[in-house]
Amino acid sequence: MTNATPSRKPKTPAKKTPATSVKKHKPATVLIVGAGFAGLGTAIRLQQAGIKDIVILERAGEVGGTWRDNNYPGAACDIPSNLYSYSFDQNPDWSRSFSGSEEILGYIKAMVKRFDLEKYIRFNQNVSDLAFDEDQGIWNATTDQGDVFSGRAAVMAQGPLSNASFPDISGIEKYQGHKVHSAAWDHDYDFRGKKVGVIGTGASAIQIIPELVKDASKLTVFQRTPAWVVPRPDFDTPDWQKALFRKVPASQSALRKGLYLAHESMALAVIWNSPMTRLAERLGRWHLKRQVKDRWLRRQLTPDYRIGCKRILVSNDYYPALQQPNCKLITWPITRMSENGILTAEGIEHQFDCIVFATGFDVGHSGTPFPVRGAGGRKLDEEWKRGAQAYKSINVAGYPNLFLTFGPNSGPGHNSALVYMESQIDYIVKGVKTILDKNLKTLSVRGEAQDEYNSKIQKRLAKTNWNSGCKSWYLTEDGVNATMYPGFATQYARQMASLELKDYELIPA
Amino acid sequence: MAMIDLDKMLAKVKSTQWSLSDIDWDAPGADLITEEQWPKLKDFMTDLMWIEHVGARAFAAMAKKAPTDTLREIYTYFHAEEQRHANVEMALMKRWGMLDGDELPEPNINLRLIIEWLDRHSDEVPVYVLGTVVPMLEIALDGALCKFLLDTVDDPVCHQAFEKINDDESRHLGVGFSVMEMQGHGATYIKTVEMAAQIANPRVILGIASYFPLLNKMRDNVVAMGLSEEKLYACMEKFEKIGGRTREGRSNPWFQIIKFHSRWMVDRNNKFYHVPVDALVKATSYIPRKLLPAVPSWVKELTYEPTA
Ligand SMILES: Cc1cc2nc3c(=O)[nH]c(=O)nc-3n(C[C@H](O)[C@H](O)[C@H](O)COP(=O)(O)OP(=O)(O)OC[C@H]3O[C@@H](n4cnc5c(N)ncnc54)[C@H](O)[C@@H]3O)c2cc1C
Ligand SMILES: [Fe+2]
Repeated sequence: MTNATPSRKPKTPAKKTPATSVKKHKPATVLIVGAGFAGLGTAIRLQQAGIKDIVILERAGEVGGTWRDNNYPGAACDIPSNLYSYSFDQNPDWSRSFSGSEEILGYIKAMVKRFDLEKYIRFNQNVSDLAFDEDQGIWNATTDQGDVFSGRAAVMAQGPLSNASFPDISGIEKYQGHKVHSAAWDHDYDFRGKKVGVIGTGASAIQIIPELVKDASKLTVFQRTPAWVVPRPDFDTPDWQKALFRKVPASQSALRKGLYLAHESMALAVIWNSPMTRLAERLGRWHLKRQVKDRWLRRQLTPDYRIGCKRILVSNDYYPALQQPNCKLITWPITRMSENGILTAEGIEHQFDCIVFATGFDVGHSGTPFPVRGAGGRKLDEEWKRGAQAYKSINVAGYPNLFLTFGPNSGPGHNSALVYMESQIDYIVKGVKTILDKNLKTLSVRGEAQDEYNSKIQKRLAKTNWNSGCKSWYLTEDGVNATMYPGFATQYARQMASLELKDYELIPA
Repeated sequence: MAMIDLDKMLAKVKSTQWSLSDIDWDAPGADLITEEQWPKLKDFMTDLMWIEHVGARAFAAMAKKAPTDTLREIYTYFHAEEQRHANVEMALMKRWGMLDGDELPEPNINLRLIIEWLDRHSDEVPVYVLGTVVPMLEIALDGALCKFLLDTVDDPVCHQAFEKINDDESRHLGVGFSVMEMQGHGATYIKTVEMAAQIANPRVILGIASYFPLLNKMRDNVVAMGLSEEKLYACMEKFEKIGGRTREGRSNPWFQIIKFHSRWMVDRNNKFYHVPVDALVKATSYIPRKLLPAVPSWVKELTYEPTA
């Protein structure tokens, strides 16, 4: 890795300045944590609204978040690029329908240039604490580097999937071979001719496996639960299309609209149990049957939960890769790790030169990635112990002037995350403008409004596929769904379209 | 006996995992197998290994149908553990020079039929049918066969291996009987009707048609090895005793059926049972192997190598 910090929470740097020499910076209007899609998009829209006193804190040395860190072989989006991009910055040049990680990162970097965002960003600043100063009406972000940055409003855009997680396997520290996490790829390691194990069969794993199987002498894949996999309609973008998009941007907007509606209709299959759900399951089963002839392997790969309950995966080359002569799928439970590899319950030690952890991320259902302290010193992780809660996913009572991106119950199961993000960003702009235009010290959502919103949302969630009984990262240990939004993206957009002042308490500066 | 706490059982299962490499396969003692024992022991081990392996596959089917997450996870482990036993037994055969290179030993025709049945039908059979048959098989076959083996074989490595295997098996039995009791709860009338429907289920009929001759055939093999028939039967009676010790267990209709079946089986004078079933054993021995489809790929996962 170059200067792109792995997405694991970076260890405290050695040169950490002692607390006595804290460097305080002049308060900005808006303080943003994170320079991924969300943080950068927020900065663009604020800037377009005339708000230019912005500071973005980024722990890595580069922008890009997800797409900077997840550059493992095969990394790509699984929502078509024309939809997985910002409507206010469309790209006519996507080379294929589902672009690779590098191309998406290129798009993000180009966006930073085009909108001249670099001046706002403070790189290599890892926020370790975010606290509201009630007297001053400002948020203070303390970083590991010993700086304190402040802002009248704060935006938490540190990403829903930015802290890599390792599985809870006993003896994991004993393993002496090479270890790689999908979200911190080691590009210097040569996989050719190596015996490689992959733990996990989720979204990242199914992209990595078809690539690794080409290089490794032997690839062993450890699966706990099989996921639903549907075919991926991937193709290169023809040149005429790029030309058309450039000449007639409206045609690209039309395609985007079409893709949006197509994905919206998938909500019927994904979110609720409907005839569409059956149809989607049939598609998944058909795909499996067509690509896997062996009955036992097919049985191992057949999910035993309703489609949509967990993230649906798209791939054309995952099943074929598993059937390569140098590849083997293991479904025995993992019992522990040893110096040489992984032991499974059928009594065999599987030995490897390298183990790839495609085991996802720490998702804070019930905590915060760093302490967040609101009015009266209240702590957000304590309030969220039994499941995170917010008002419209974006504000939390007791935490004035603070906005969340990808907050509780904002997760899309069937559509582009960026569609949801745009709704959130525009809401943030409205909020910040309200603070400035009315010259408020604090804009705080009322507790009753938050409670009412949540009881409605939880009622709606109870009827969804996510809450239909499978275990997934969408749910807390107690089965509370604090992650997903139970509805169409269109419904979400409508809910975010207006900022209802009656739901807030306004205190003038 | 009160029903066991399945959550605790799962934790126990997870914390007592072991592997082939925990055993020193080159330790002295392999030469304690006598020349006279060797050929019969080879057949015996082959059967035993295959029984473990079909037991494994049955647990896989049960995992798919388990009524709770905990039970599903327990059965997933048991599936793997039975496979581990089969692997260990194959490793013992390797140690005793009973493997032909890397070749899997051939299963006898009755086991081969059971494999076929499990592959085609077991996933579709209700969990309470398998949940009763499997403890029976475990007691009668595993139990009796293992005991016999330890009485006859002096190799300390064999004893070490079976101590571990038996620890696992005792947990399998505990869960098996507990589940039988769970199924025995509630309205018996409904259960009986459901059961009657299952007996008419062609999958189940086919299963029975493969299972009965397997038992008689095993009896013959065991007798050929010098184990007294009584020992085998004593084990089957153990099934009746343990399974029938509570009202819930007794009211499981499948328990009743299997109990009656094992009584017939034990009663050599019951000509109504033994004449046709022995005839079936004989008939199955004429099935040309060529007619059977290729072995399912789950069979190929067996290995005697502690590391891969
Ligand atoms: C492999 C992968 C594939 C995906 N594919 C899709 C897809 O196809 N479609 C889709 O809709 N979504 C997809 N997603 C979801 C994806 O995470 C979001 O779409 C989106 O990229 C999130 O953007 P973000 O800005 O919120 O977070 P991120 O991109 O994670 O950015 C957060 C930034 O905050 C920084 N940061 C974090 N903590 C701190 C801190 N304490 N101090 C300072 N900086 C900090 C991080 O370094 C990072 O740069 C995918 C995710 C992954 C991991
Ligand atoms: Fe067994």
